[in-house]
Amino acid sequence: MSGELSSDGAGVTDRLGALLARTQVAVRGALSRRDGRATLATATVVYLALYLFGLGHLGLGPWGWELSVVADPLARATRVVGPFQWEPVALVVAGPVELLLSPLNVALGTGLAALVGVNLAVSVVAYRGPRACRLGAGAGATAGLPALLSGVACCGPTVLLVVGLQASATVLTVFQWLLPGAVVALVATLLWVGTKVDPAAV
Amino acid sequence: MGLTRRDWLRAAGALGAAGLAGCTGTGGPDGGGRRTAAPGTGDTTATATPGTPPPTADRSLYLGHAVDHVDENLVSGGVPKDGIPSIDDPTFAAAGETPVADGDPVFGVARNGEAKAYPQYILVHHEIVNDTVGGDPVAVTYCPLTGTAQGFERGETTFGVSGRLVNSNLTMYDRGTDTWWPQVLATGVRGPLRGETLEEFRVVWTTWKQWRSAHPDTQVLTEDTGYTRRYGDDPYGDYNPRAGYYDDGRTLFSPLVTDDRAHPKRVVLGTRTTEGALTFDEPTLLDERVLTGDVAGTEYVAVADAALSTGYVYANPDGLTVTAEDGGYRVDGGTHAADALPLDRSLAFDGMWFAWAGFYPGVGYVR
Repeated sequence: MSGELSSDGAGVTDRLGALLARTQVAVRGALSRRDGRATLATATVVYLALYLFGLGHLGLGPWGWELSVVADPLARATRVVGPFQWEPVALVVAGPVELLLSPLNVALGTGLAALVGVNLAVSVVAYRGPRACRLGAGAGATAGLPALLSGVACCGPTVLLVVGLQASATVLTVFQWLLPGAVVALVATLLWVGTKVDPAAV
Repeated sequence: MGLTRRDWLRAAGALGAAGLAGCTGTGGPDGGGRRTAAPGTGDTTATATPGTPPPTADRSLYLGHAVDHVDENLVSGGVPKDGIPSIDDPTFAAAGETPVADGDPVFGVARNGEAKAYPQYILVHHEIVNDTVGGDPVAVTYCPLTGTAQGFERGETTFGVSGRLVNSNLTMYDRGTDTWWPQVLATGVRGPLRGETLEEFRVVWTTWKQWRSAHPDTQVLTEDTGYTRRYGDDPYGDYNPRAGYYDDGRTLFSPLVTDDRAHPKRVVLGTRTTEGALTFDEPTLLDERVLTGDVAGTEYVAVADAALSTGYVYANPDGLTVTAEDGGYRVDGGTHAADALPLDRSLAFDGMWFAWAGFYPGVGYVR
């Protein structure tokens, strides 16, 4: 029995390893092309900006130039102010642009943005070069969906004012799980792309 | 004109990154925001003594719902305890040294000869200021979702934002006993002081121009709060002119009770006593100057203060005639200012109609 379990476990590990390898091939293939790299860079920057805008950390304000940092920024940086939100430690004003810098939110946003970027890069390359992968245009849309989902998650209850939805315990609980849910969805989408790749064609 | 902290910081930023560390926040340089020494204390920094309760009143206030019901209807506001940080080390500037626009709302406190203004655009990010005014330790509190600004004696403790709401209203907690206090009710609903009532004082919701005219020597809270925020960005809307959440017919959280006698965000001046609650339509009061209603058979009269666009409420058990005239109000043969009628004043404050109607079902609405 334990032998069967061991055998099954090894099978799963092998399959997962193969899946990761195929995904790695797909990502490498996508990023070896100029359009793949351009998609990754553009999507990452745009999504990070949207994420920070959704948090209220990025926006327009009165014209000026400013750089200010709170006292004891290291301690402040880990202070939780909301689900997956941490205390800003600095304010940067560059012309009309205001940016609150919360290091942990910038790190989280960059990670999310990179995941979205890789998803879109693979999908775009797959769509434009069907010989490398067996993907259709639907992959891009699939990758974009969790990206949008996590974009909503970062806004918190304030977004309810925009969509006209009333907050409730259920809605707020769902909000708390949107961001990790989006991460899982993005990773799953990437792995799914891996299953569609024909390594021999890359 | 002196520089505000923000002006100072922007100038500093333009000069380069020198002095980057520690240039704001607690312990940073004053910049333009001048630290105000409180009489007898030498500082306004609020500290809490663990285990020390806030002062409570001898009498209880009427509640439109059982304490249990209020407790059961506390909901998460989407942020953890202190996720919205109170200001515990406030700094102040003189009236001529603030970027506040004339028409912007401020919450004014005049006490023991000292006047202070707390701009709404700063408090929307903090909700509570633990301060010392006129030598007394107080908390000035503001709930954006119910449009209520109220003052509480805090004694040796401080108040923080619990992260919970009831009827969309800020629920504070005191750092001495961790009792939870919905702001409008001023009554403990969970914790060791459950059922107790906080000592309150009047906070006037008015505009910066009106407050400054009435109190030229006022000080005004600065953006040097110890936290960095985009203070020009109100996440809910705008008051100058009124827009967004502050103007539309929706509420973010479901009210305890819905009452369609008025637009949910209509501003009413409300009061509550031991026996009951009563609201006056504020635009009507400012127009007509005198309105009367009753609480449990006792007459209450509201009079307008045009200089601050606010009103005051008095118990009038003997039914004295109160009439508006030039320079004040005629009562019992004399003329008196709106805030000094020879009657017992009942603490009143502005709030959105849905909030008063939700907390006090069937509340009297004089208009």
